[in-house]
Amino acid sequence: MKTKILVANRGEIAIRIIRAIQELNYEAVAIYETPDRDSMHIRSADEAVWIGHGPRCDYLNIDKVIAAAQKSGATAIHPGYGFLAENADFARACEKAGIIFIGPPSDVIDNLGNKVTARRIMAEAGIPMVPGTQNLKAGDEGVQEAVEFGKQYGYPIMLKATAGGGGRGIRKIEQEKDLKDHYAMARAEAKAAFGDDSVYLEKAVVKPKHIEVQIIADKSGTTIHLGTRDCSIQRRNQKLVEIAPAFQLTPEQQEAISQTAVKAAKAAGYFNAGTVEFLFDNGKFYFMEINTRLQVEHTVSEMITGIDVVRTQIKLAMGKDLSIKQEDIHLRGHAVEMRINAEDPKNNFMPEGGKTVRVYRSPGGYGVRLDGFCYQGFTIPQVYDSLLVKLTVFGWSWNETVDRLRRSLNNFVIIGPKTTIPFYLNLINDPDFKAGKFDTSFLETHEHLFNYEEDSSEVNKLAKLIAEIHCKGGNAYAA
Amino acid sequence: MTRITQDMDIASMLAALRQADGYYITNTARDMSQSDYKNRILLHTDLMAAPTREAAGYFSLEITGGASVHVDILRKQVDPFLKLDLLRQAMPKTMFQTLCRGLNLFGYRPYPANVIRFTVREFAKYVDVWRTFDFLNHVPNMQAVLEEVGKAGKINEPCICFSTGPEHTDAYYVAKVGEILAVTGEDITLCIKNHGGLGTPRRIGELVNAIKQAYPDLIIHYHGHNTDGNDVGRITEAVLNGAKIVDASDHAFTGYYGPPAVLTVIQTLKDHGKTAVGIDEAAVIAASDAIRDQRPHYAQFESQIKGFQPTVQIHKLPGGAMGSSLEQAAKGGFLDKMPDILHKELPKVQEELGNFWSVTPGSQILWTTAVSNVQHGRYESPSGDLKNLLLGKYGPFPFYQPADWIYEKVFGEDWRKVLAEQGGAEAISDMDIEQERKTLAERLGYEPTEQQLVIYLQHPNDAVNFYKFEAEFGRAYVLPPSIFLRQGGFALGETMTFRDHFGKEHLLEVGPVQKTEDGHTNVYLNVDHHERVYVFEPVKPAGAAPAAAKLSKEEIAELAKAGDFRAPFAANVSAVSVKAGQEVAAGDQLLVLEAMKMQTPVVAEATGVVAVVSVKVGQSLQPGDKLVKVDVKE
Repeated sequence: MKTKILVANRGEIAIRIIRAIQELNYEAVAIYETPDRDSMHIRSADEAVWIGHGPRCDYLNIDKVIAAAQKSGATAIHPGYGFLAENADFARACEKAGIIFIGPPSDVIDNLGNKVTARRIMAEAGIPMVPGTQNLKAGDEGVQEAVEFGKQYGYPIMLKATAGGGGRGIRKIEQEKDLKDHYAMARAEAKAAFGDDSVYLEKAVVKPKHIEVQIIADKSGTTIHLGTRDCSIQRRNQKLVEIAPAFQLTPEQQEAISQTAVKAAKAAGYFNAGTVEFLFDNGKFYFMEINTRLQVEHTVSEMITGIDVVRTQIKLAMGKDLSIKQEDIHLRGHAVEMRINAEDPKNNFMPEGGKTVRVYRSPGGYGVRLDGFCYQGFTIPQVYDSLLVKLTVFGWSWNETVDRLRRSLNNFVIIGPKTTIPFYLNLINDPDFKAGKFDTSFLETHEHLFNYEEDSSEVNKLAKLIAEIHCKGGNAYAA
Repeated sequence: MTRITQDMDIASMLAALRQADGYYITNTARDMSQSDYKNRILLHTDLMAAPTREAAGYFSLEITGGASVHVDILRKQVDPFLKLDLLRQAMPKTMFQTLCRGLNLFGYRPYPANVIRFTVREFAKYVDVWRTFDFLNHVPNMQAVLEEVGKAGKINEPCICFSTGPEHTDAYYVAKVGEILAVTGEDITLCIKNHGGLGTPRRIGELVNAIKQAYPDLIIHYHGHNTDGNDVGRITEAVLNGAKIVDASDHAFTGYYGPPAVLTVIQTLKDHGKTAVGIDEAAVIAASDAIRDQRPHYAQFESQIKGFQPTVQIHKLPGGAMGSSLEQAAKGGFLDKMPDILHKELPKVQEELGNFWSVTPGSQILWTTAVSNVQHGRYESPSGDLKNLLLGKYGPFPFYQPADWIYEKVFGEDWRKVLAEQGGAEAISDMDIEQERKTLAERLGYEPTEQQLVIYLQHPNDAVNFYKFEAEFGRAYVLPPSIFLRQGGFALGETMTFRDHFGKEHLLEVGPVQKTEDGHTNVYLNVDHHERVYVFEPVKPAGAAPAAAKLSKEEIAELAKAGDFRAPFAANVSAVSVKAGQEVAAGDQLLVLEAMKMQTPVVAEATGVVAVVSVKVGQSLQPGDKLVKVDVKE
């Protein structure tokens, strides 16, 4: 019987993982909640297990996922990103059930998932960090600690939930008098969102670049990196566009930051694939966190290195060691990933869930990669995230890459939901983007990117009228 | 023998007209469209005819005015100014003519003087000949327009509206001409506006002769309609008695209620030794040939009833109102009552109401009153406009005031008091045009042009809708009637080509239509070789909406007594006069409804306080819809 691997996720990332599993000649088992019953990931898998009505709660239910693996005879689980991916309890439950968890061991997830522990480990290893505190005390004592920190390092400062992540649970404090109000709210929110009201402080780095490094480690302690990624273009701390390598950094800076990432991973006793995130500002970089999972944007690192990160993850989890060394890794060209979301950028990126994709046509050709789960007739569930498809484009030079992006975006035909495509088309025509000048404040400082019209050509307007005359059997505007 | 062209100065034009042994022709394409095609002939068709009409050598082309400005934006989705601009480019020599309703401009009720002057100034940039009339032949109602046209250096063509009956004597009309000339002087063209095509050829000949006897140098322009099939007869007599300009249009499109064919006029008068000055007969024929194949696309707008209507001499409906009246009758389900309405009630109402001229807006008042009288009892449910007419708001009755019993029926026992207090023409104060400009800018989301403002001041809601249509669907005048007016959709694989406003050629091919499970419709079109899909929301099948419990007329009246005002008929809200919390007394106007061009005020029946206002201006209503709730004081 073939080895079976259960994919504890949904949407595009489930399909990405299923592809790697099937390429390795294993069988892929999908799980799904009721709202996902028409999802493409079920059709791609070799078999699928229904785990409940959801929404979301069953994908987050450790017992149900383990039970699905046992029921289907899967011997390994890939958690993807989100849901249970960085849940140490889940990794432990797999370990206990004798199922291979494709990712780092539970104690590593624990250590790196706790921001304060992670900072301690990194501080001991000599990794540069943004000045910050341990967990603050509750109540007025905590506020007092914060006031003193602010006096020492200056404002703005960031109040962060210790158990938060992925850009959630962060508050920016501009001045001392705001601390008291925000402190209580931040703790209450952290409690509600993450079940833990611990918070800590960091000095805010204003308008930094978000630079991260893909690392891979095997059980024998070999740790390599796949170069840098620039994920500075974000909205509300959520990434939209990712670029590899972070080409605005000098080769020396890229090398330094990559080596630091490897050092950090080793200090954490890291195994499998992970991402070390840094803030980069004026030539200096500060450790932010290690994401103990496969990331959405792993595709850009794959494109410039030729390494299949997910395939490697599975092989490492199955006990193999890395067959390549750092010197075998060569970074070639440029890759950009754009998240085609069913969202209305003009309306604060409001999700367009519930809408049906009436027409779906996607680009192809040289240097174009698509990781998606969208098809014509698919109704986007309202209860999950709005990512439809990731467009990853590879090019030899930056100019070529941007040209290819433009062509690929123009080749998409998605009718039904509004998408981020017109916004991206505006983005890639922006002179600052073309010149590679962007940091995390890019969207705030480039508001004109939101000024686009869906299709303002005269012929499209007239064709719309003709289509309406055709559809209604007469011209309502001439009646 | 000179052709008159747009670049000539007025003095030499008038000289040419006075000296002409023959006669000139105005092509009244606008009137033909209004009378025989419910105003729907598209700019596309007029542009097709433009080169040959230009070559034909008309005195003028009547191509705007009347109801056409409103219908341009409401049903043809074309900018009335852009239309004139494009036609001017295609026809540099031919003068353009408009029909202006005096105080009512191109609408149905009086406008403030500053709006009238602003509108005339903007249109005068394109329009050379201004035919202006008032349905009561009340010259002061035309004054602002006449003055502004004079200032713009364009040709004034004031009208005497013509009708028949014992009061309509030569002496009356000659005196009326004198009244007009006292305002304008003799450097005008005077129009005999025979909007119903009334009277015999002989009667028209006599009238022209009488005016000529009194004013030998006056240039007379005869305008008629062919409703009885005999307008060529009247034209002939008019010309033989000295009229210098007559109206007709292209034979490819002539119908029953509009102008007769140009070619017939030429052929007939040739036999009398009268030549059509400046006219190229071959071009007249070519113009009809150029557009003949377009006519079938307009069949849906031609009259329900075919054939000439010699009974027009009895009911006197103007040609411009024939088609729409028949359409209303068909839609309203009272086509069977038409003989009674047209041949008995309407002549009676005309006589009772003063035997004035049945032309906009008077024709609408006569027609709706006759219909209402037949359907609901005589003068039982008078419209707001009838009340205004009786109160003299439009101007004085030309011959006699209607009988007391009509006033009593309409205004109640206290009618004398009502007439004394409210009677007489109201001075309409100037509008704050700059404030209107701001409001329009807010509604459009951009700064409007002067032209947009002009259109907005006349038809606020329809103008905003049109400019939004244009933003969404582009300049749709480029589409031929075979596309724009297509009924029943297109055939699979049908191709169509057109050139857009910016001169770009396009090719469209019709693809499949797909209904989705949730009721959406996807229409696939191949647009310039690129497949595109247009998605349409489900259309609620007719009658699927839960039918609102219908209230009877009596129930609506009962509710109104209790302060719960409901729409008595299908209408649009044209004004809301009260706010919640406001005290009202019996007789105070709460709001004004508009249906079929007629305004009807809804008035409080007892003293009380307005509790709720449920409607907004522009909202369309079904009978029984809630309007206003008044807490009636006991």
